[in-house]
Amino acid sequence: MEFTSVIDGANICKKFKNFTLDIPEFRIPKGFATALVGENGAGKTTLMNILAGVRLDYQGKLEYFDEREQNVEKVKERIGYTAPGLYFMPQWSIRQVEEICGLLFDRFDREKFRDICGKLNIGDGDGKKTVAKLSDGNRMKLMLASVLARETDCLLLDEPASPLDPLMRDGLCQMIREYLESGDGERSVFFSTHNVSDMENVTDYCMILERGRIVEQGFVEELKEKYLLVKGEHCDAEAAKQVLYSFSGSSYGFEGICLAKDLDRLAGMDVKVETATLSQICVAVMKAYTGLQLTA
Amino acid sequence: MKILQNTGEPIYLQISRQLKEEILTGKLEQGEYLPSIRSLAKDLKISVITTMKAYEQLEAEGLVTGVQGKGFYVNAQDSQMLKEQHLRKVEQSLEEAIAAARIAGMTGQELTEMLKTLLRYEEEI
Repeated sequence: MEFTSVIDGANICKKFKNFTLDIPEFRIPKGFATALVGENGAGKTTLMNILAGVRLDYQGKLEYFDEREQNVEKVKERIGYTAPGLYFMPQWSIRQVEEICGLLFDRFDREKFRDICGKLNIGDGDGKKTVAKLSDGNRMKLMLASVLARETDCLLLDEPASPLDPLMRDGLCQMIREYLESGDGERSVFFSTHNVSDMENVTDYCMILERGRIVEQGFVEELKEKYLLVKGEHCDAEAAKQVLYSFSGSSYGFEGICLAKDLDRLAGMDVKVETATLSQICVAVMKAYTGLQLTA
Repeated sequence: MKILQNTGEPIYLQISRQLKEEILTGKLEQGEYLPSIRSLAKDLKISVITTMKAYEQLEAEGLVTGVQGKGFYVNAQDSQMLKEQHLRKVEQSLEEAIAAARIAGMTGQELTEMLKTLLRYEEEI
């Protein structure tokens, strides 16, 4: 499907000693929520840091928004970024966090910040609690609140769901949907996650990163048409193994992900075809590419 | 509108089917705009791309028209098409009946007899 992009990247490259992030073409669709999925150490945070302007020692070109702005310093006011670790000083109180964000960003709404803190139950309402005394989940909520209280056009969230409880993950999904709706197609969200199934109902576009390369990407509905979940009987397992993209079998039967274009080759076998979940697709793709590396 | 997660029917089809029913029964009137894709996604707690696909499905079936930047509005439903839709439904139900009759071991003769009897009852009432 055609789309306009909010962030465009060309030949993004960052070399480490044993690892290279190498993305020849990179586009985040505008007006949608995009998930970045990948193994530990696949390069998700490196990519996130490059996009957010935290890391500037990379090669390649990045352009932001409709204006094709290239200077990341200039777009920082329009981007809301949260990191996986804590970046507020531990001795700051919630009230001080509010003041500092107010100083740092022009379009920070202090009223809105207090409102969100109240809704999310961060601290005791008076804002005197220090960051050090907050739990991991509440620290993440505080960082999200500081970002959502600003007028932004794009959110970059690095692992926002990880420290949150199931209730709050649901809340996070709803916050993302509300953010997208309020922008009416002009606001976009890009987040990395390991909790694919928790975030599936808010993911529009998915990128899978493996060993520093994007190995698969697309709109979720398109991916679900490309990859199908197939289940069959044990007697067909050996033949099916040759065709399937990912395969797991037991003495009772087998199941696996099949590329839609290969489905014809299973003709004659007693198989049931289902729509795969995003998380099943991600696991299959990740397995396929890890396997490749291990045998090489 | 009800969205079920575990029926096997894709969510976008569930949405387009239910909206289609509302259009064909006249609940959604001609010229009326459907909710924007992002607000429907928010209300149904699903992703934007899923609602988008549901709307595209309706557009492909000729029930709504998409206008760039404004959303989707309900088309005028001509009676010919409505009839066509109903005919298809009848056909589907009959196919189901045939399949059930096969399992029960009924012959075609018996099945038509049954249909005739049912029709007679209908007329008497």
